[in-house]
Amino acid sequence: MIAAPDMRFDDIVIGGGITGLCLAWFLGAEGAAVACLDGGSGGGSRANAGSLHVQMQSRLERQFPDRLSAFVSALPIYPQAVDFWSGVAAALDEDIELQLGGGLMVADDEAQLAALAAKCVIERRCGVETSILGRAELLRLAPWLDPQVAGACHCPQEGKVNPLLANAAIRRKAQQNGAVFFDDCLALRIEAEGHAYIVHTDCGRFRGARVVIAAGAGSEHLAKSLGFRLPVRAEALHMNITDAAEPFMHHLVQHADRPITLKQLANGQLLIGGGWPAHNVQQPATPQVGLDSVLGNLDLACRMVPAIRDLRLLRTWAGINPTSDLLSILGGVDSLPGVYAAIPGDAGYTLGPWCARQLVDDMQGRRPDYPLELFTPSRF
Amino acid sequence: MGVCQECLVTIDGHPGRRACAVSVSDGMQIQRQAVRSPLQWGAGAYVTPARTVIEEPDVLIIGGGPGGMTAGAIAAELGAEVVVLDDRARPGGQYYKQPAALAQRPPSLVRDRQYADGKRLIERLERAGAHVTPGVEVWGAFADGVIAASNGRTTTLFRPKRLVVATGAYERAVPFPGWTLPGVITTGAAQTLLRAHGVLPGRRILVAGNGPLNLQVALELQRAGAEVVAIAQEATSLSWRAILPASGMLSAAPRLAARGIALLASLRAAGVPVLGARNIVSVERADDGLRVSLRCVAVDRVDHEQTFDVDTVCLGFGFLPNSEILRLLGCRHRYVHKQGALHVERNRELETSVAGVYAIGDCCGLRGAPTALQEGIVAAVSAVASLGLPVPRAARRSLVQARFHLRRHRAFQSALWSLFRAPVRGCEFATATTPVCRCECVTLADVKRAIDDGCSTPADIKRRTRLGMGACQGRYCLPALLVMLQRDGTWRGHEYSVPAPRVPVRPVRLCELRPTTRMQSTTPP
Repeated sequence: MIAAPDMRFDDIVIGGGITGLCLAWFLGAEGAAVACLDGGSGGGSRANAGSLHVQMQSRLERQFPDRLSAFVSALPIYPQAVDFWSGVAAALDEDIELQLGGGLMVADDEAQLAALAAKCVIERRCGVETSILGRAELLRLAPWLDPQVAGACHCPQEGKVNPLLANAAIRRKAQQNGAVFFDDCLALRIEAEGHAYIVHTDCGRFRGARVVIAAGAGSEHLAKSLGFRLPVRAEALHMNITDAAEPFMHHLVQHADRPITLKQLANGQLLIGGGWPAHNVQQPATPQVGLDSVLGNLDLACRMVPAIRDLRLLRTWAGINPTSDLLSILGGVDSLPGVYAAIPGDAGYTLGPWCARQLVDDMQGRRPDYPLELFTPSRF
Repeated sequence: MGVCQECLVTIDGHPGRRACAVSVSDGMQIQRQAVRSPLQWGAGAYVTPARTVIEEPDVLIIGGGPGGMTAGAIAAELGAEVVVLDDRARPGGQYYKQPAALAQRPPSLVRDRQYADGKRLIERLERAGAHVTPGVEVWGAFADGVIAASNGRTTTLFRPKRLVVATGAYERAVPFPGWTLPGVITTGAAQTLLRAHGVLPGRRILVAGNGPLNLQVALELQRAGAEVVAIAQEATSLSWRAILPASGMLSAAPRLAARGIALLASLRAAGVPVLGARNIVSVERADDGLRVSLRCVAVDRVDHEQTFDVDTVCLGFGFLPNSEILRLLGCRHRYVHKQGALHVERNRELETSVAGVYAIGDCCGLRGAPTALQEGIVAAVSAVASLGLPVPRAARRSLVQARFHLRRHRAFQSALWSLFRAPVRGCEFATATTPVCRCECVTLADVKRAIDDGCSTPADIKRRTRLGMGACQGRYCLPALLVMLQRDGTWRGHEYSVPAPRVPVRPVRLCELRPTTRMQSTTPP
């Protein structure tokens, strides 16, 4: 759809990923006239693998040692966010294959298991239900794991959702609530004009009383056009999918020390990811996979679950993960009334709907369930 | 053949093998494979292989058809270290289709020219000292120039100094009611069964679609003992009277044109009716096989329907370039609307936009085996010269001659295809309930619903319906979808609007992927 010059809306959501879709839905349900603009390039929630994370992922401690304590302070939002996904699934008219079968973070040796135990202590203090399983107990729960495994950290609150189904269903729900979507409409800059804002895009100008920047890694330059700093980097990540096997894996499986997520979709396919790097390229604007990640990620998967070695790899792809300081960026911008940011922190697909709910409550003058001060976009 | 991945079997304990690509041998244990394989625990630990060598030949050639073998032979004769990879058990490609075992060659094809030419070229290639490895499938190509190929057990990595991509073409599938029934196959598959394995696909056969291959294969099937009840061509009329005015063909390649006229005469002598202006309507199961319905679309007899009772339907709707490797390497392509496909851009040396990567033959567009042979000469001489190896005068002369022949073949091809003029087909023969994507069972109605729901690009439709996410990796459904969208006028084809090919280029078992020393020495992310 091509916008005529200066299309007017109450609220303009920039970004049609999981967060933007939910914002469009929730704002529409408040009765606002909402436009959701999306640049349409390949990354973001379109490429997501749909893990619902609650445990602290092992790579965080390695990648962000100095940010860990801040991250722990935000840990309680993860179980809330997964709970919120259950509510989202119930409110939708179609099945999105949400399955909360729990998660296993697997340790190869006693040292890794000890590290998991220490992690458990911190998590339980934050309302995350994790517990340590020894080898025998673990193999009873997951007989398909390599029998040499030392144990695992079990979190019953974790799960998975099919992002292809969820994105489409939430979009339809948003449309039913009056939100209008503009696809292939790339927001270039935002400009204040009186008490409103003009969003300049490559398909026309949009005017709104309020603007929510939910553009993931594309948010930084939009913030800059309004004169504030929003440091969000694009991190290209690798994913793999195999052909279908009889359903056997109900958990979201991770490793205590190495990056991997392993889960089985409802149709039997195994989806393997977990943060192996891909390459960001300018043209085409979709990130490209690299050989080392194909080999390394799948070698690790085969060592953890040897029985999958005869499954065939059908496809790999790469997506863009927006990363900042691990914490969500959520709330109004202090100096600019009517400008908001919504960029979920680590595990954005898990947090997206919950973040959208908190922000909309805040925008409508209701008290969010969770104090948003920790996440203010004015912290940078 | 080899595209749909629907014939998977377990051979000697190894699952995921395509029955259509493996010759049966004595003592082989073959089991049907469940659609969702049941996994067995306790098979023992998975051991990461110690190391994989990265091969660095002067010239790596992917594809052992006419173009690849010619390029390989010439590059090796000029002193380059050459490796030729081919995914079939024997090199030869789709054109030369060498028999799996000599004893199986059907009597009607004993003195066949394509066999003999192919055998000579294979011998030349081996004599030249090229390292020929059949039975190897390339599954990955990466921006840093590394090619990953599996022999069914392990992967070998190549980082060649020069790469020649000669991956050929595959047969375009056109969805219509009944196209997924057993007994409905492509014309090329019927030819492979006959030529490589000495097996007829059926007894009573109808050949439908468009293009000269249909005529040739129909005659081969008839001569090998099948009854070809009719050849239904989309093009309006096909007779030697029609060929004569296409005089461009006679002057450009008199021998090929003469062979074409002889082919039509032989079909007539064999009593095979060639029906023009016929579109396929449906194939249904009948009591004793299949019932094919055709519609006549000649101006004076529109909507006249005809049915035939057969046991096999062979469909040839033309070819699509196997361009996945070229696209993964980042070689620039352009979308050719008339063909409904991306074609790679090349310079005079047949080098692509990526330095050191050459592309020849049908993977660049469809111009047939004679063109591929000549392009093999051009690419080989150019690649060897660019390596700094001495190129003798005779080789330079052959380069000039090859360019001359290429110009002539181009003229011949355009005259030939003016005879078989028919629009490239999308989904126009499909009805609402016809599966467009046979792997994921996505019907035309599902696709239309997604479009009505606001999906405007092939990538949107793929994500919404799962079209193209199955084991054929979109080879069948995506081209049909692109042509449909292009006709509707809502979508403009260009390099980046066609969904990108993904690694692996062919499904590959996880245990066939092998980490390299290079990777293990780096610290994990």
